[in-house]
Amino acid sequence: MPNHDLSHDREGVTFFGTLSAAVTHDMKNFLAIINENAGLLGDLAARARNGHFPMDPQKAALISEKIRKQVNRADEMIKQFNRFSHSMDHAQETVDMEEMVHLVAGLAERIIRHHEVFLTVTPAPVPCRIQGHRFDLLHLIFRAFEITCEILDKTPEDTQKQVTVSFGSDPLVPEICFMCDTGTASGWDTLFDDPKDRALLDRVNMHMKKAATGSGFCLCKTCKTQ
Amino acid sequence: MGPRILLVDDEQEFVQTLAERLQMRDMDSYAVFDGPTALAQVQSHPPRILIIDLKMPGMDGIQVLKQVKQTHPGIQVIILTGHGSEQDKILCMHLGAFAYFQKPVDIDQLVTAIKQGYETALSNDQKTATCDRHPRTGSRQP
Repeated sequence: MPNHDLSHDREGVTFFGTLSAAVTHDMKNFLAIINENAGLLGDLAARARNGHFPMDPQKAALISEKIRKQVNRADEMIKQFNRFSHSMDHAQETVDMEEMVHLVAGLAERIIRHHEVFLTVTPAPVPCRIQGHRFDLLHLIFRAFEITCEILDKTPEDTQKQVTVSFGSDPLVPEICFMCDTGTASGWDTLFDDPKDRALLDRVNMHMKKAATGSGFCLCKTCKTQ
Repeated sequence: MGPRILLVDDEQEFVQTLAERLQMRDMDSYAVFDGPTALAQVQSHPPRILIIDLKMPGMDGIQVLKQVKQTHPGIQVIILTGHGSEQDKILCMHLGAFAYFQKPVDIDQLVTAIKQGYETALSNDQKTATCDRHPRTGSRQP
């Protein structure tokens, strides 16, 4: 097998591992909250049994609701992770990029939050569909988030880090833009310069162009690299 | 009330519930949600025991552990994390953590570690006080 294929495989496994680690960390936290709330219910029941304090039905209902909320969060995360795991099932297909952005944003929420970045995804005005390999397209969106977060890490402390993802309005020219409301960071001149990132763009047959105004960039099928 | 315990975790619901359960066990526990607030609390109202998560936005648990051990070495630090690699554990113990737990944690195991940490803190206090006293008269050295 040629070396570049091995490198491609390694990058893919690294991406899968990074998202898996983030998801399992989140799952641990959901379980920890469920564990503490279940434990608290047990503590309150034990106190009531001993005759020290009567059980407050409202408090019990509140704890029960907290447990239910965490079960829903965990269930949603597992569904997303399952969709991500099945992204390697087909070689080529028509992929809805808005759906993919939401999927990566959900799975990578912990990673993005760790950079103290607030993310907004605006609804696509028209369907943004791309023919390609779903796993590679997810990988590209994740790299776009990673690169944006790394650039925003260089902004001064106490700066609100806000990223907005938007989609192009021409269905024949699919475009996904990552714009930062904080325009003070440097690093926009070396976007996707890494050979691994260039190889990823090539694999999905997409290009990156820097935003004409403001701080950010767009990923598109037909645009020319700037 | 028992030893003063400060809990630090960005998962607010988790850390508030855990603090409530420790209070029900007569432990003077309170929660904050980020590293800088924890360090400010350590300066203004030093706890006996500090329980911290490792992965938090901004300042992470390792940074908090390092700073606390520099400024308040007597505080016993317990790591309670959902992201626990063996390397993290080794690093934390090397930096002076007293104990290391993975989430979800058994409350009885955590309470045992807190009690052990408190006893260690008291024992260290006594050693320091003894060292400060004059070897013959027992009075405090100038």
